[in-house]
Amino acid sequence: MSPAADPSPPAGRTAPSGAGTVAPPAPAAPATGGFARARLAAALASREVRIGAAIVVLMLLVAVLAPWLAPNDPANQDLLATLQPPAWAPGGDFRYPLGTDSLGRCVLSRTLFGARIALLVAFAAAIGAALVGSTLALLAGYAGGRIDGLVSRTVDAWMAFPPVVLSLLLMVGLGTGVFNVILAIVLVDWTRFCRVVRSEVLVVRRRDYVPAARLLGFTHAQTLLREVLPGVLPLIITLISLEMGIAVIVEATLSFVGLSVPASTVAWGVMIADARSYMHEAVWGMIAPVGAILFTVIGFNLLGDGLRQSLDARLRHARI
Amino acid sequence: MLRLIGGIVLRRLIGAVPVMLVVSVVVFVVLRLLPADPIGMMLPPNATAADAQALRAEFGLDQSIGRQFAIWLGRAVQGDLGVSIHFHEPVTRLIGGALPATIELALAALVLALAIGLPGGLLLFAVRRRRGELAAGLAVGTLMSIPSFLWALLLILLFGVSFPILPFTGRVGGSVTLPGWTGFALVDTLAAGHFRDFVDAAAHLLLPALALALGFAPLIMRVLRSSLIDAAAEEYVMVARLRGVSERRILVRHMLKNAALPTVTLIGVQFGFLFGGTLLVELIYSFPGLGNLMVQAVRDHDLPLLQGVAVVFCVAVLLANTLVDALYVVLNPRLRRVA
Repeated sequence: MSPAADPSPPAGRTAPSGAGTVAPPAPAAPATGGFARARLAAALASREVRIGAAIVVLMLLVAVLAPWLAPNDPANQDLLATLQPPAWAPGGDFRYPLGTDSLGRCVLSRTLFGARIALLVAFAAAIGAALVGSTLALLAGYAGGRIDGLVSRTVDAWMAFPPVVLSLLLMVGLGTGVFNVILAIVLVDWTRFCRVVRSEVLVVRRRDYVPAARLLGFTHAQTLLREVLPGVLPLIITLISLEMGIAVIVEATLSFVGLSVPASTVAWGVMIADARSYMHEAVWGMIAPVGAILFTVIGFNLLGDGLRQSLDARLRHARI
Repeated sequence: MLRLIGGIVLRRLIGAVPVMLVVSVVVFVVLRLLPADPIGMMLPPNATAADAQALRAEFGLDQSIGRQFAIWLGRAVQGDLGVSIHFHEPVTRLIGGALPATIELALAALVLALAIGLPGGLLLFAVRRRRGELAAGLAVGTLMSIPSFLWALLLILLFGVSFPILPFTGRVGGSVTLPGWTGFALVDTLAAGHFRDFVDAAAHLLLPALALALGFAPLIMRVLRSSLIDAAAEEYVMVARLRGVSERRILVRHMLKNAALPTVTLIGVQFGFLFGGTLLVELIYSFPGLGNLMVQAVRDHDLPLLQGVAVVFCVAVLLANTLVDALYVVLNPRLRRVA
C-alpha cells in the first residue's frame, strides 16, 4: 500500500512449487509473456494473494463437495425439530451441528450448499462482466474517436444508476433465475471494467511496441489481441477477482429481496431473509450465512487487493 | 466566486440532461421486458377481458413503448410522474413522503463516515513505516470487504440481539408520531420541542446510519492516508519545517488542506453508492424511505412507481456529483483560474 512497499523480488526465488497451482494461467503472449509471467510470480509472493487464494480454493472445494460434506439434505424439513440451537448449546442435537431453521432444515447443510450458487454466480458474472467491459474498453481505447465517445457516454449514463437500483430494475425486467442474476450483474458491472481498462489501453497503446507491430504488418485485430490485450491482462485479472467479491454480495442481496433464485434453491441471501424473523430464537440461522458471505468476500478481496498491489501500481488508489 | 460556482453548477446540470434522458430510456425499456402483467394483479378474479382492456387503456399500457415513453417524459418534465398502480396515489407524492427519510439517513451516514474515516486516515498516516502498519493495513483491508448490507446485519446481531440496547426497526418507536412538517424526523421533533421524541428518532437512525458509514469510512481512511503521504513529500512541507513551523501546524494547516481534495473527490464519486446503499439498509431496518418504497414497488410490479423511484435515485446521484464539483472549486484555488 505504501509506495515503497512494492518490491519486485526475483521470480525464481518467489515461485514455490505448491503455490503455482492457484495462480491464474500466465498469458502466453509473444511480446509480453515472459514479463507477465514474472509479474504473476511476484504477485504470488504477496501474503495477501496467498491467503486470499487459499480461501477461494477452500470455498470452491466446499461448493463442489457440498453433497458429501453436508450432514443432511439441505431441503429436508424436520418439523419436530425447528429452530434448534447449535450442537454445543444446551438442547442442541449432533444431527444438526449448527441447529435448524424455522422449517427444521439443517443450517450447516444449507450454508454449505449455499456456496454453490454464490460461487457459480461469482465466477460466471465476473467473467461475463470482464468480457463485455474489457472488449468495449479495448475497442474504445484503441479506436478512439466516435467509438470511444459513444462507449464513454454510455458508461457515464450507466454510472448515474446506483448499482443496487439498476440490478433491482433488471431483475424485475428479466425475472428470477440463476442465469438472469448472472446477466443482471454483467449488465450492471461491465462499466467497472470498461472505465478502468479503457484508460489503461490508452496508456498501452502509446508504447513503442504497438506502432512497431503495425509496421511489421499486423492487422488492427492482431495488434489488439497480441500486443495491447496482454498489456492490460494483469489489470483485468485483478478486476475479475474484486468483481467476484462484489458478485457474491449482489447475489446475496438479490436473493435476500427474493429476486434471485427460485425459493427451492439454497442461497445465503434467502437464508438470511428467513432467519431475520426468528433472530431472537435461533441466531445461528443468521450468523452462518452472514459469516459465509463475509469469509468468501474477504477471500476474493484479499486476492484482488494483493494482485492489485503487485500487478498494477496505477490502481493502488483507485476504488473499483 | 459565487458566479463561478453558479456557472459550474449550471454547466454540470446541462451536461446531466442527456444522461438523464439515457437513464430514463433504460429504465423504461428494462421495465417493459417485464414477464408479469401488472394489470393482471390488480383485477378481481371475476374480471372479463374487456375489464382488463379498459384498465390497460386507463394506465396507457395499450400504447406502443415509444408512445408511452413520450407521454411519460412529457409529463415527467412538468413534475408529474404518473399515478401508482398499487397505491392509487400520485408517484411524486409517494416519493415526496419517502425521500426525506432517505436523505436524512444518507446525510447522517456521511457525517458518521467522516467522523470515523478522518481520524482513521490520520491514524493510518501516523503508523506508516512503523510496526503497526501491516496490522492496520490488513484491518482496513478486511473492513473494506464488508459492505453496508453485511454491516447492517452484523450490527443487528450485535446491538439488537446480543446487547439489545438500540432499536432496529422503523424510524421512530411506536408511541411517537412525527409532526411531518419537513419530513426530516430529527428536524421536526426538535422544532416541535419534543426532546424525547428527538432522542428516539436519533436512536432509530443510529444503527442504519452506522451500517452505511462503516461501509464508507475505510475508503475515506485509505484515500486520506495516501494523499497525506503524497503531501508529506511536497516541498512546502520541508520549507515550513525549516521555518520552524510545528509538526502539528504543518499537518493541520498545510498537509490536510491539500489532502482534502482527493478525499472530497472520493466522497463525490462514492456518495452515489452510499445513496444506493440506503436501499438495502432501509430494507433490513424497515426504515420507511425511498429504498423500501422501491422494493415495495418491485413486489407489486408497480411500474409508474418503480420508474419514478429509479429516476429519482439517479437524479440524486447526479445532483450529489454536481455539488461536489462546486465544492471542489471552493477548495482548490488552482481550478478557479482555469474555470
